[in-house]
Amino acid sequence: MTEKTLIDVLVVGGGISGIQASLDLADAGFKVYLIDKSPAIGGKMSQLDKTFPSNDCSMCIESPKFNECSRHPNITILTYTEVDTVKGKPGNFKVSLVRKPRYVIESKCTGCNICAEYCPVKVPDQYNQNLSSNKAIHIYFSQALPLIPYIDPKTCLYLKDGSCAICEGVCKPRAIDLHQEEEIVEVEVGAIVLSPGFDTFNPGLRNDFGYGIFENVVTSLDYERILCSTGPYEGTIRRPSDKVHPHSIAWIQCVGSRQVIPGGNSYCSAVCCAYTQKQVILTKDHDAGMQATIFHNDIRAFGKDFERFYQRAENLPDVRFIRSYVSIGSEDPQTKNVSIRYSTPDKGVKEEQFDMVVLSVGLEPPKDFQQLSETFGIELNSHGFCKVNPLNPIETSRPGIYISGAFQGPVDIPESVAGASATDALCSQLLSYRRGDLSQERVYPPEKDVSEEEIRIGVVTCLCGANIGRVVDTPSVADYAGTLPNVVYSQENIFACSTENAQLIADAIVEHNLNRVVLAACTPRTHEPLFRDTCREAGLNQYFFEFANIREHCSWVHSKDKEGATQKAKDIIRMSVARAEHLEPLQEFQLPVTHVALVIGGGVAGMTSALSMANIGFEVYLLEKASDLGGMARRLHYTLDGVDVQPFLDDLIRQVYKHPSIHVLLAATITEVSGYVGNFVTKVKSESGFKEILHGAAIIATGADEYKPTEYLYGQDDKVMTSLELEDRIVKKDEKVLGAQSLVMIQCVGCRQKDRNYCSRVCCSQSIKNALKLKETNPGMDIYVIFRDMRTYGFKEDFYREASNKDVKFIRYEPVDPPVVEAVVEGGQPMIRVTVPDQILGQKIAIDADLLVLAAAVVPSPASAEMAKLFKVAMNPDGFFQEAHVKLRPVDFAADGVFLCGLAHYPKHLNESISQAYGAAGRAINLLTKDTVTASGAVCDVEDDDCVSCGACITACTYGAIEFKNTPKGKKATVNPVLCKGDGLCNAKCPTQAIKLKHYTDDEIFSQIDAADPDMVNESCRNCPGLGRS
Amino acid sequence: VETVAPFKEIIDLIKEQGGDAFKYCYQCGRCDTVCPWNRVRDFSMRKLIREATFGLTDIESEDLWRCTTCGRCPQYCPRGVKQIESGVALRKIAAENDIFPGPIAPIRTVSVGLMGEGNPFNEERKNRADWAEGLSVKPFKEGMEILYFSCCYLSYAPRLKKVAAATVDILKKAGVNFGILGAQESCCGESIRKTGNEDLFKKLAKDNIKTFIDNGVKKILVSSPHSYHTFKNEYPEFMVNFEVVHISQYLQELISSGRLKLTKEYAKKVTYHDPCYAGRHNGIFDEPRQILKAVSGLELVEMPDNREDSLCCGGGGGRIWVETPKAERFSDLRLQQAIGVGAEVLATSCPYCITNFEDSRLSLEDGEALEIKDITEIIQELL
Repeated sequence: MTEKTLIDVLVVGGGISGIQASLDLADAGFKVYLIDKSPAIGGKMSQLDKTFPSNDCSMCIESPKFNECSRHPNITILTYTEVDTVKGKPGNFKVSLVRKPRYVIESKCTGCNICAEYCPVKVPDQYNQNLSSNKAIHIYFSQALPLIPYIDPKTCLYLKDGSCAICEGVCKPRAIDLHQEEEIVEVEVGAIVLSPGFDTFNPGLRNDFGYGIFENVVTSLDYERILCSTGPYEGTIRRPSDKVHPHSIAWIQCVGSRQVIPGGNSYCSAVCCAYTQKQVILTKDHDAGMQATIFHNDIRAFGKDFERFYQRAENLPDVRFIRSYVSIGSEDPQTKNVSIRYSTPDKGVKEEQFDMVVLSVGLEPPKDFQQLSETFGIELNSHGFCKVNPLNPIETSRPGIYISGAFQGPVDIPESVAGASATDALCSQLLSYRRGDLSQERVYPPEKDVSEEEIRIGVVTCLCGANIGRVVDTPSVADYAGTLPNVVYSQENIFACSTENAQLIADAIVEHNLNRVVLAACTPRTHEPLFRDTCREAGLNQYFFEFANIREHCSWVHSKDKEGATQKAKDIIRMSVARAEHLEPLQEFQLPVTHVALVIGGGVAGMTSALSMANIGFEVYLLEKASDLGGMARRLHYTLDGVDVQPFLDDLIRQVYKHPSIHVLLAATITEVSGYVGNFVTKVKSESGFKEILHGAAIIATGADEYKPTEYLYGQDDKVMTSLELEDRIVKKDEKVLGAQSLVMIQCVGCRQKDRNYCSRVCCSQSIKNALKLKETNPGMDIYVIFRDMRTYGFKEDFYREASNKDVKFIRYEPVDPPVVEAVVEGGQPMIRVTVPDQILGQKIAIDADLLVLAAAVVPSPASAEMAKLFKVAMNPDGFFQEAHVKLRPVDFAADGVFLCGLAHYPKHLNESISQAYGAAGRAINLLTKDTVTASGAVCDVEDDDCVSCGACITACTYGAIEFKNTPKGKKATVNPVLCKGDGLCNAKCPTQAIKLKHYTDDEIFSQIDAADPDMVNESCRNCPGLGRS
Repeated sequence: VETVAPFKEIIDLIKEQGGDAFKYCYQCGRCDTVCPWNRVRDFSMRKLIREATFGLTDIESEDLWRCTTCGRCPQYCPRGVKQIESGVALRKIAAENDIFPGPIAPIRTVSVGLMGEGNPFNEERKNRADWAEGLSVKPFKEGMEILYFSCCYLSYAPRLKKVAAATVDILKKAGVNFGILGAQESCCGESIRKTGNEDLFKKLAKDNIKTFIDNGVKKILVSSPHSYHTFKNEYPEFMVNFEVVHISQYLQELISSGRLKLTKEYAKKVTYHDPCYAGRHNGIFDEPRQILKAVSGLELVEMPDNREDSLCCGGGGGRIWVETPKAERFSDLRLQQAIGVGAEVLATSCPYCITNFEDSRLSLEDGEALEIKDITEIIQELL
């Protein structure tokens, strides 16, 4: 009998959502098994080239997380593994895992890839969407974790008929085991997080766009690989038929989505509009002359910063957005170009040829969704996605099993990541009694003292796939680096950041007794923590690590000048090597954490996160500026998915008031915030008087308001109201509203315009919701929705069609020709006349309405701007809070210890706010459970003897990190290292150079500059404080 | 730009007449891109739908009558607008008001013929079985295996009588125990229904149903996909269910079961045109191709628009009775496609398609030889 392994949480699915859930859970002190059915973790995100709207390289921001998972003592990764059965109940599930044979013994394999070189069988490469070939034995992708090959039993000659086994012979470590069998692993787990992700719609099945027939018709996921430097054409855009660079590309939107045709999906896939715009921008980056045409219906730029992103794509030269669904005409037999027919409102149907066509395919539940439902005993919705509790979108129908990522419905990366952190909050709640029982601390080898050693520098030159290698002649650069003073080791590396390769660097440190490491690769912004950690793994102080950025600063900007770029890479490395010689070992230090949370904003988001933290046992202060809790939700009564909001809200408020660990302060204003992560001090004035709160973390959930329109007779005519006012009058059974004969709604009032250049996300669904409600009580009412783009994303699309079914009429307007509203008297009755051009009719439609409803924008709360100042956190140009990283840190602020959720982040629906609130709680919980936090060593320090007490540094510091202290030698400036962010402003102000920034000392910087070109350096360089940071 | 107001009464009227599904349209324009009209002239189904949505339909417009009910747009419509049924609703309103603009006028005469003689040509009913003279075809008797329903075109039109003759020749050689009902039959009514004349359709259908029942008919063999469609999918509205089989299905069955032996060779390059009502509307794509593939020496080639994407001949939806200007005939395009793939024979199995193709063939340039054949005419030559 196999012995059962005891773990806390099983995470099923190793895409970005599963990875983030594992990291958060492991950090919270839970032992985690992260399993994935594919041979490596990474999921769909690992196949993407870049991510919208920041256009970060997808793999570059995801792969450091592979490393984090791999190095985390509380995470065990099992790939090529599936769940067979799940029995038991929350806190004590018995799960049987099946480890499929990969025919390679993981513990023996070194990832050298010799087996793949010798394997005689070529197979289509799944990772590259079958656009290139690989071998029957191969590593899933270059940065794969684990970096272990697997054998596809369907194509391997030995496994088919016993005829080959070459790999067995060539494998030096004897890691090939062609007789490996399926292995069953029994585990006992407290909770399960389901993050199996999604599959993309297969346009070949119905075959209405020529996919699989016309060679130059590809899916958007195929195109991601084509764009990617690790893709089939190494990042050069080529088309499949002749591998030639295309000059005109068409994108077709909504392939498989928003349709009731058999084989299609009725919902909107929510991500395709933005990913297409991303692909257009990237394509134009590759080739400014490219003709890009996007055929679409509504443009659904409903996410944060998506509207600007859309405008950015639309305003590029030779980019056309054409509002028409299309049909594929034919393939030119000679050129293999593809013709597309599209319709115009006034010029009939046109046919154009394109060199290549990209199908923007929608998202579907994982192919095995039925199996998932049966195995885990969870219910599905009508589309085959996981059925979730609309008031807690993290919960499945089975207690103890939580959902994260796109299996809950089509969502993008930030929502998947926030949802992952939310599973941490819920698991923490469920399993708080056993937190820490199974977990282990990360143990590093003791740090070696190198102060007496001669300087031994190792240089690693990374190719970053083809990102650097394609432009910079890396072999010559590595050779050159080997000739530099003190350099004793110089190597190339295809992907230094892959888990296995980072280990190679650690090994080299030990083997070659290196005491400085220079990595010529990408940017410290994303990768410095990873490689500093690599040094620690090898027993080297992490501040002996130095980054030479030869990607952003070199190969990317000089891609057309290979020779010049190679020379510059050498220059940059020479400078870094010179600097490395002067690096000092620095110590980071630990700060205690106050296990108390402060939540600002008593709406649903704030209350949800407060309760979540309090339920785990943390003391929470909940501040609300109004005289009662509730926030925006007070004005919501029903949702599209049938939730009765007020009873839920009343219950939530009751729970908050009742909770012994939550202290609610009403009519509260914050007068002062000081302190830092783990140790904030916030002064609050409220109806219960003044209070000074010591807290370790803060969640800002200050909400948002409805815009008060100045347009369309609002405030002048009582027949004009906003959507929320309409909702209020509907529930109050106002006869004027319910008995109206005709009602017009105008969308996008106050947003999607110059001064509020964003989409308020919720208004389209709000209008549909109200229209359906009105039709319920008064089916004869004529309702018209005048809109720009209907943005009923995700499953809400079904309600848009339902509104059409109920005879709600939709009329599109363009901002250049908006509806005209006037008060008229018709048949003795005062009416509102709305006149709007209809493009398809080529006529203006005039509607005489009893009521006019304005879908008014969601605008940031004035409280948000105050909080931004008090907590020194950033806001975006629209006045919503700016998260630390739009994709991967969606609920964190850049300022440590402060988190965000709800409408203050961006307009969103109630369920989305709740999900994000749990996410913020999850992140805060991870901080609050710790006894200490670590502060950076690269901070400023004052040489008391040199300080002349002028106070210039104190004025310069924007973080309030410097103050005077009394010393025997008088008043001297002193730095609070926790608050210091290491920006060095004070260094430049100090007249006596008494204050220094560690890790950026004059010696370090000047040696670097001197190595650049001695003639170049002048006095102004020497006085520049910021040099050397990238 | 003109300003108009939604016309509520018309919206309700269209809804009453079966045009309710117009409401689903979200104006994506896909219908226009697949519509065959836009290969020969501008015609916007999307605009027609949009006008109907607001009750702004111009009931005197010829555009109401363009749709050939080929079934391309409903097949692709993401919103389920049901363009055919909805479009017929508009025609019902026009027909009730006796509005048949310009070239649509012949529909009136056609209706007279159908009403009086049971055929659109206003030929005498008693001559309906004349095509079978000298072919020793038996009148249908209860207990016979199958009723052969030859349809108006195969009964009266000279070109299509040859198809009827070929069909009975094959049936006899295969030893099929069949008969015809001749003057007792009426037009199946499929196409007149599409012109909005619901009453006339009902009369024709009821007449036929009575005839079938009185004569003890159980299984009906048809040559026209239009008859096939209405017998199979529309007559059940009257609570009857006859077994209906299209000649291409039946031939395939006769060949594969060995009842029919193809002995001769047919050394020609043949392309097959899918009639809308056999293919798209009823999914008969494979049987005709299987028949042609079974012929030795015959090389089957496909035209660019085939199977589900077949290009309409222009004859459906009552358009077979309407004069279409030369430059606007889909059938001309279809012949060019056939010639384009090097076909010597354009085979099909629908009387409307053959009528239109033969018409288009007359204007082919010298040197471009193309035979138009019903599939039965090819098979007959091989027996």
